[in-house]
Amino acid sequence: MVQRKRRIGLAGCPPEEVLAPLREQNLIDLDNVVEGVTLRSESALPRTTCRIIRRILDNALALELDEIVIDEGFGKCDAARGLADVLEDMLRIPVTRTQNDNRVGAGTPISDSGLPVARKIELILDGLVRPQRLALEPEPNPPAAIWGVPAADFSIYELFPDGSQVLGWTRCLENRTPADWEMEISVPDGRPTVFFAQTFCPKNVTAQHLARKHNGLYVDADGVLSQSVKAKIEAFLHFRGARR
Amino acid sequence: MMAILGDFGTTWTKLLDARNGERRVLRTKDAKGLVADVATGHNARRRAPRHINELIALAQGGQRLIDEREFLLLDVGSRDVKHVHMRGGDLVAMDWTSTCGALTGFTLELLGSYYGLDYNAIEPSEKSVPVTCGVLGMEQLFELVSQGVSEAEAVARFARGIALNAHRFAGEPKRFYLSGGMCENRLFLRSFPHGVEVVPLGRFVLVEGLVGELEKTAGR
Repeated sequence: MVQRKRRIGLAGCPPEEVLAPLREQNLIDLDNVVEGVTLRSESALPRTTCRIIRRILDNALALELDEIVIDEGFGKCDAARGLADVLEDMLRIPVTRTQNDNRVGAGTPISDSGLPVARKIELILDGLVRPQRLALEPEPNPPAAIWGVPAADFSIYELFPDGSQVLGWTRCLENRTPADWEMEISVPDGRPTVFFAQTFCPKNVTAQHLARKHNGLYVDADGVLSQSVKAKIEAFLHFRGARR
Repeated sequence: MMAILGDFGTTWTKLLDARNGERRVLRTKDAKGLVADVATGHNARRRAPRHINELIALAQGGQRLIDEREFLLLDVGSRDVKHVHMRGGDLVAMDWTSTCGALTGFTLELLGSYYGLDYNAIEPSEKSVPVTCGVLGMEQLFELVSQGVSEAEAVARFARGIALNAHRFAGEPKRFYLSGGMCENRLFLRSFPHGVEVVPLGRFVLVEGLVGELEKTAGR
């Protein structure tokens, strides 16, 4: 008799030693968009909760999971740690709390490649569930960079010229070192960089600070990107010589 | 030959025929079906095969109209406020708000029509209504009127509130250039903080910013 694969939801970037024994199961990254999921987190979370935390809860409530594995270490925020409690109370399924303090980098070939940025982000996000084995050449002269966490609205990535570099926590996610603060705040000198954070995310403080320090552009967005935020990014890249 | 440049704003459309320099201003609601060769503005995407975003058009318009190495240019539109700070052709700073400054210009225009006010004849007020957005500002304005403040004084406080908000949004410069229909509103121009020099450039700054795009296309 074929045993049913267990549906395990992942939140954040749990350590590989926890994920490895689970790879034969049906892994679902709860941070990502799952088509058809009804938004039910509205009444369960305060209004000042970022879109990604909301999305994790929406997905967890909708997907009939057997277990959730969540990273609640230094690489995540208090909201994620609080969410672990919320999930445990609401779902009555095992919630495995992990702390990913890994400092052994898996590499950042996708972040540094010449691919379109939207494709890079897709690959990085998919990589948690399906580790990527792509032979990618690094882009020798990235025309621009985007720093931050993965955006709820992917249209932000389409504003960047191909080969723009991925920095910040998203880069740490590809490297499987989500708590590597040194890597997270590292920004190459002179590269036109847009510093992005989800509205209500504590990373806004760092995003704005780094934007000032590196003469970049700081933007935040709650869910769907407004036309004014898009226009600011376009204008910034235009006048810094990094047009699409 | 491409010739018609258009700024299709929320309330007003500004058109420039680059062949003869002819300029037209009409209400956007009356410009249905009208198309340009290159466009900018809130409704630009449906109006031209080529559109340029408003911040880029504003900065490029400033570069054409202002003969200074460094300038700060503020655009107060019907529904939003934006600014660019340029130095030596480089973008130093910019911002665009369509939330906190929402509908301020539109509301001032609406109030002028509603009360039948001549903005050239109203003296600026020393007081201001805190205008975080047009709708909330209007609520406070009507409250003032109900308390016995004259309509002209209430609207003057509202205009001052918009001016202070826009000035703060631009980083509180001592001197700046102003773009948009509010350049024609004398009350608004006189409502900025004392000692601040406002240089009005009129409502065709964004359209001027499209001229370069036309030249780029012709040069291809």
